Amino acid sequence: MSTMPLYEEAAPRRPAPLRRLALGLEPYLYIAPSVILIATIMLVPLIVGLSYAFRDMQLINPFSGGFIGLEHFRALWTDAAFWLSMKNTLVWTFASVALQFAFGLVLALLLNSPFPGRGIVQALVFLPWAVPTFLSGLNWAWLFNPVVGPLPHWMAALGILPAPENILSDPSVAIWGPIIANVWWGIPFFAITLLAALQSIPQDIYEAASIDGAGAWRRFTDITLPFLAPTIAIAVLLRTVWIANFADLIIVMTNGGPADQTQIVSSYIFTQAFRRLDFGYASAIAMVLLVLLLAYSFVIILLRQSLLRR
Amino acid sequence: MASIDIQGVRKSYGTVPVLHNVDLSIQDGEFVVLVGPSGCGKSTLLRMVAGLEGITSGAIRIGERVVNELAPKDRDIAMVFQSYALYPHMTVRDNMNYSLRLRRTPAERMAHVVSAAASKLGLDTFLDRKPRTLSGGQRQRVAMGRSIVRQPQAFLFDEPLSNLDARLREQMRVEIKKLHRDLGTTSIYVTHDQVEAMTLADRIVAMNGGVVQQVGTPLDLYERPTNLFVAGFIGSPAINIINAVLRHDGEQRLIALESGERIPAPPRVGGHDGQAVKVGIRPEDVQISAQAEGDFAGHVELVEPMGLGTIVHLGTAHHALKAFVVERVNYPVGTNIAYRLPASKLHIFDAKTGQRLPE
Repeated sequence: MSTMPLYEEAAPRRPAPLRRLALGLEPYLYIAPSVILIATIMLVPLIVGLSYAFRDMQLINPFSGGFIGLEHFRALWTDAAFWLSMKNTLVWTFASVALQFAFGLVLALLLNSPFPGRGIVQALVFLPWAVPTFLSGLNWAWLFNPVVGPLPHWMAALGILPAPENILSDPSVAIWGPIIANVWWGIPFFAITLLAALQSIPQDIYEAASIDGAGAWRRFTDITLPFLAPTIAIAVLLRTVWIANFADLIIVMTNGGPADQTQIVSSYIFTQAFRRLDFGYASAIAMVLLVLLLAYSFVIILLRQSLLRR
Repeated sequence: MASIDIQGVRKSYGTVPVLHNVDLSIQDGEFVVLVGPSGCGKSTLLRMVAGLEGITSGAIRIGERVVNELAPKDRDIAMVFQSYALYPHMTVRDNMNYSLRLRRTPAERMAHVVSAAASKLGLDTFLDRKPRTLSGGQRQRVAMGRSIVRQPQAFLFDEPLSNLDARLREQMRVEIKKLHRDLGTTSIYVTHDQVEAMTLADRIVAMNGGVVQQVGTPLDLYERPTNLFVAGFIGSPAINIINAVLRHDGEQRLIALESGERIPAPPRVGGHDGQAVKVGIRPEDVQISAQAEGDFAGHVELVEPMGLGTIVHLGTAHHALKAFVVERVNYPVGTNIAYRLPASKLHIFDAKTGQRLPE
């Protein structure tokens, strides 16, 4: 009995070092073109964009462009408008996501129960999603305008507003204008996602629970919610990042005003870059936003992993 | 525990009737099996007892209560589903005590009941695992455990063994039977497998096309099937059916087979001269002999050895015939065989209505 021959016979057949290197590199050479292409398309603009944060980049100043280190970040730290926009971003993102999710879940639950004409209603419900954001922003801006829109008159009649005024011009409540438009526009996303998840829950589990003695509320909390949890986590993560970055409605409806009261970080970036033409400062703000959102995403991904493992 | 009384129950989906006027009384502690081909309405009937389907008309009583309008949770029944329907996000323990938690059972009592059920079913070591880590047979046990911890008025089983392989099915069948012997809880069991029906049931309810065909003990259905459907559905290998005509020859009553041969009719069989009938005979009642000791001649077309015995497929002038013999015969194909159809073993059905002739 010998265990050696296999090993020893194999040894002389090992290729020369150069050839071995070529063989080892072979798979990497095959994938190199696509990796280089993807890196060029994705990473280069990102790095160049981030580098602006450390340079004095002003479009109206032909002598700008020099490296200034952390100067932008120091300015940012003391920029009251930036901190206001941070606070507004929190309000805007939290209120929008929470309301979109709540209404989306209710809608998904309604659409999941059979009723005549469900197919048509489902199609209609998803319409706002298909409306271009600029159009829906304009549409809502007009709806809130007491000259052409009915909403201020209705709200005044219900006692929500003291007089039929445009809430978009009232600094204390202006942020709710774009939030309402955003909720209207974003409900279908949650409804579609949650409806798909609801429809994947086996019916007989509900039947087993109802035989076990669970009423409608316990079936919802003990079956529906645990089944939906991973979907909810991922949908909320995606929407939070999306909405925190989503300045279209604000730019169209209020342009950040009145008095920066509806300015969120991303609309502030837009204002700095394309109104004041200070690309360097805008890029520094963008970098802060990027870091915050990355940290947030990381937390949510950990949360989702633990939900899925349970 | 309770009796279950089903009176004049009908079910239709829109204008499509699926159950026609079902009457069935189930005694306290009885094990009743609903059997029939798919689409016969047996599962619908079970789900109506459970409260998962509405009742179009008629009444269902569990114990003394009419439960027509009661929600499933108020009927005090437990159900085992074909898919097991375990809660995937709960441990085995939580699956089993979910109904008890909903009823706010004290924790010590809950722990006691669950561990008793788990040891009865051999699940002790799995209590902290999730259902997805269990095999099909273990999941099946959890589903049963979930039912027995509640000590309900009745167990409802909806094809509980269909997703298991043959070996495991046989094993679980025995366990279900033992469980019923120990607990004595009224049970309704739905299956399309006539072997499960025969072995488990105190009484079988054979259904077809939404109509109850026959209710009786397993041997009632086997030995005195009330119509062609029951005769054909119960028994494996299936009964032989031969076209024939009744002949009254003076005092003697004969059956003229389509091959022209005549055999004596079973004693006391009714019917009139010239009536077209179908004659059924179970394969084990066909007597065959290779020594030409029989009334009719045929030849071997196929031999299926089953270990337990042998199925011999005979070719004859007008019809095919299966015979089941306990011996391990191995006739070559084409062997001439004589066979006999004993009069006392014949089942005579009206050819038009399919009903058994009165005796």
